[in-house]
Amino acid sequence: MKRRKELKKATPYIFISPWIIGFIVFTAGPLILSLIMSFYDWPVTSEAAFTGLGNYIKMFTEDAQFWKSLKLTLKYAAIFVPLNMGIALFLAMLITQPIRGVKIYRTIFYIPAVISSVATAIIWGWILNGDYGVLNYLLSLIGIEGPNWLVDPAWALMAIVLTSAFGVGTMMLIFYTDIKNIPIDLYEAASLDGANPVRKFFGITLPIITPTVLFNLITSIISAFQQLTLVMLLTSGGPLKSTYFYGMYTYDNAFRHHKLGYASANAWVMFVIILVLTAFIFRSSSAWVFYEAEVKGQKSGRRRKNK
Amino acid sequence: MKRKIGLLLALTLIMAALLSACGGSDSGDSESGGKTKIRFASWDNAEDLDSQQALVDKFNAGQEEIEVTLEAYGDDYDTKISAGMGSGDAPDVMYMWNYPAYYEALEPLDSYIDGEGAEYKDNFYEALWAYNEINDTIYGIPVGFTTHALFYNKDIFAEAGVAEPTDDWTWDDLEAAAKTISDKIDGAAGFSYQLQADPYDFEMYLWSNNTSYIDDAGNVEGSLNSAEAVEAFSVFQNLQKEGAAITTEKGGTDEFRSGKSAMYIYGAWSVSTLDGDGMNYGIVDLPDFADSGKEAVSILSSSGIAMSRDSKNKEAAWEFIKYWTGEEMNKERIGYELSALKSVVESEGVMDDEKSVPFYSMLEKSAGYTPASFLVEDWGGLSEDLELALERINNPTTLEDPKTVLDEVAGVH
Amino acid sequence: MKISRKSKVIIYVLLTIVAVYFLAPFVYMFFTAFKTEAEAIAYPPGLLPKNLSWQNFVDAWNAQPFTTYLKNSLLVTVGTTVGQVLSCSLVAYGFARFQFRGKNILFMILLATMMIPWDVTMIPQYMVFKSFNWINTLKPLIIPAWFGSAYYIFLMRQFLMGIPKDYEEAARIDGANAFQIYWKIFMPIMRPQLILIAVLNVITVWNDYLGPLIFLQDRSKYTLALGLASFKGVHSTQIIPLLCITVIMIIPPVIIFIVAQKYIVEGTSGSIK
Repeated sequence: MKRRKELKKATPYIFISPWIIGFIVFTAGPLILSLIMSFYDWPVTSEAAFTGLGNYIKMFTEDAQFWKSLKLTLKYAAIFVPLNMGIALFLAMLITQPIRGVKIYRTIFYIPAVISSVATAIIWGWILNGDYGVLNYLLSLIGIEGPNWLVDPAWALMAIVLTSAFGVGTMMLIFYTDIKNIPIDLYEAASLDGANPVRKFFGITLPIITPTVLFNLITSIISAFQQLTLVMLLTSGGPLKSTYFYGMYTYDNAFRHHKLGYASANAWVMFVIILVLTAFIFRSSSAWVFYEAEVKGQKSGRRRKNK
Repeated sequence: MKRKIGLLLALTLIMAALLSACGGSDSGDSESGGKTKIRFASWDNAEDLDSQQALVDKFNAGQEEIEVTLEAYGDDYDTKISAGMGSGDAPDVMYMWNYPAYYEALEPLDSYIDGEGAEYKDNFYEALWAYNEINDTIYGIPVGFTTHALFYNKDIFAEAGVAEPTDDWTWDDLEAAAKTISDKIDGAAGFSYQLQADPYDFEMYLWSNNTSYIDDAGNVEGSLNSAEAVEAFSVFQNLQKEGAAITTEKGGTDEFRSGKSAMYIYGAWSVSTLDGDGMNYGIVDLPDFADSGKEAVSILSSSGIAMSRDSKNKEAAWEFIKYWTGEEMNKERIGYELSALKSVVESEGVMDDEKSVPFYSMLEKSAGYTPASFLVEDWGGLSEDLELALERINNPTTLEDPKTVLDEVAGVH
Repeated sequence: MKISRKSKVIIYVLLTIVAVYFLAPFVYMFFTAFKTEAEAIAYPPGLLPKNLSWQNFVDAWNAQPFTTYLKNSLLVTVGTTVGQVLSCSLVAYGFARFQFRGKNILFMILLATMMIPWDVTMIPQYMVFKSFNWINTLKPLIIPAWFGSAYYIFLMRQFLMGIPKDYEEAARIDGANAFQIYWKIFMPIMRPQLILIAVLNVITVWNDYLGPLIFLQDRSKYTLALGLASFKGVHSTQIIPLLCITVIMIIPPVIIFIVAQKYIVEGTSGSIK
């Protein structure tokens, strides 16, 4: 009897063991190493020197670029996350409509997410060209003189936002999968009760997909804060450092200035910021995320602590 | 609970042991089948790689004891080299130009060079050594170089009825010509220059005007923001303001090829591309600053081959380095790399090619100058600020006053 | 569900506008791949090439050993996808359907691993893999996938938590153990989501170039994405081959996506009954 019970207790651990093993072997080691590196001055080509908290102190008190990049990245995230999630949700709703030809649209919306970032950056570089780019040409057709997107520091950030919205297909696909799998009976029952589409969306769809909303929210925050590839390829952080995101700042510190210890400290600071933010969101999620398994659990009378 | 953790830990250790065992083949060995293996890293991109691979194969074919593998890092060269050095796994032999940043992980080569006899060293153009050494220690053997010169589009000049540039031109001459061309020819600007210019390259304009980023004592103040330096920075801004010049995203080759600009300053890298296009163009020495009292000088973009300090096969690596920088290789590379060896230049009649002459002429004029990057301790910080300064001065939406910007930078350093 | 005519029109208009935004760059890129180099760098850039030079594609493919790259990419893609689907579903199941000590902490750690900027753990990871002698092999790219990735585990866990408890209870009454429940009941239910993960992984790995960049050294091990990036040189970019290869590389993921759509759309209405 006891063995059976022990096995039962062990079961969840056995299920998650692949990840735990992988974590210990492939992730924890490098992670701890990078933390240790952050307490050293390590110019890659020669010996590392211990500096204790020196890197962190320098970052917060002497390095103006640290604050600038941080603020810039926060600003970008504040725009990128709601915008992209909104677009993804909107598009997902659009392509779940039972109309003819929707399959083609679905594929079209997803294609950009499939193109390699190198090519995407080059193409958008052409489109956004101030003098000869297609975007400004189209704007001129409706009487607007487009700015020099990639040269004018006042507009470069928007250029990045525009280009990164291009990759919204993945989030859209995740939302779509969730929405499409909502049992039709729920909608039909609502229709019988006389609910209109808006009511159906807010009353049925949205609550049920809150788990994926949480997922997309957290993952898009993480990717906004870590944004590097696009900026590196499209603007190199310019013009005039107007798109010098935190990710670029860290990368330059590591590979251009060869200050690997400092860059590790940069990375850990960002890591902590994201961690705190995410923990906060998670904590709040019990108020608005609706897991059917839990609810049913409560219904069947099992006592469960409110999270 | 404890038993579970113990079990998991044991599992993990076993997995880790298994994993390292299953990777234990000789991919990390430097000897296999008796031949010494050398890793050689190159930054060339796809276009040139095939020819490079062929040259490496040739070496391997003629070698009984050494086998070289070519690793192509392309655009991300610095990242890979840094990663390799940081983990003690740098390639044995690698292309190198940024000695200040990497020299501490490189093997000093003076003893190897001396071992080859005086003739060996003398065959290289003197000016090149300064670009491959730090603190009087040589860390790389020059493999090729370029200086910068003025390219011009003969067809556009003819169309605008403007006299072609000569080696004696001053910046005033250039300005006049550029302005005329911009006015007369639709869709073409007289001159173009890079918006996010490389401070390393830009220093040559200061040199041409009798100043530099730092003075002999290493001070930035008084040098970077001297009147001569301000003049050098202002020349470009003025050209833009007058509508005689445009800024380009990269070096300017694309704009030159498409006829968007009639003149630009660049190294010899684009010669083969332009020839391939069939463009009707010419090259002359850089324009002089009228008041400087001397001829313009150019920066050297010299690439060298260096050896890793941690290499386990230094003798073998040196053999390969000699081969790659030797006469035979120099001859093979004519056409896309200017030869660093005097003997090859002579034997192959390089000076008969009018496209090569300006670059060698600039080489001769530019001996004796060492870039600030080799001298300044915090070049990383200074160059970043200089980059930003160049942007602020030349970005069409800002066009800040050069003196103000340079004073700011000098104040910080 | 009936939709009014008016709504249909609005929906179509919206769809088309968005489609143009998404499709235009791709169309532009597609046509440019057929141009000559002079046409490609011409200002202002025209849309259509004078001639459709299919030869561009042949030349691009031959410019580097792309057939080898393709083989490597296939190995990595298939290897990781199978690994991810199996391991992530296992782990997510553990997190989603059980209560156990340390669950929340472990889950937070899981999430935390997604937040680590890659360029800094890159060198330590390189060292770890070097100690295994995996550098310059495809192993660092494939084997970790068999231990799950936080992103997909998180996603699966969200999906799994949306399934009512009744399923397990019914099965347990029948005497099934946890693994049987997982394999026989939940895996089939989660098929759409599993396929979703497979598709996402295929695309991510197919285009991944940072991993191969760091861990591979000689060209015989390169993947397609790395070969593509090699067209970007220090002085100039070979635009035509780059675009040609990009176009070629898009085809397999798109095909997989189109095929997989059917399964993702399946819906649970069938399996609930």
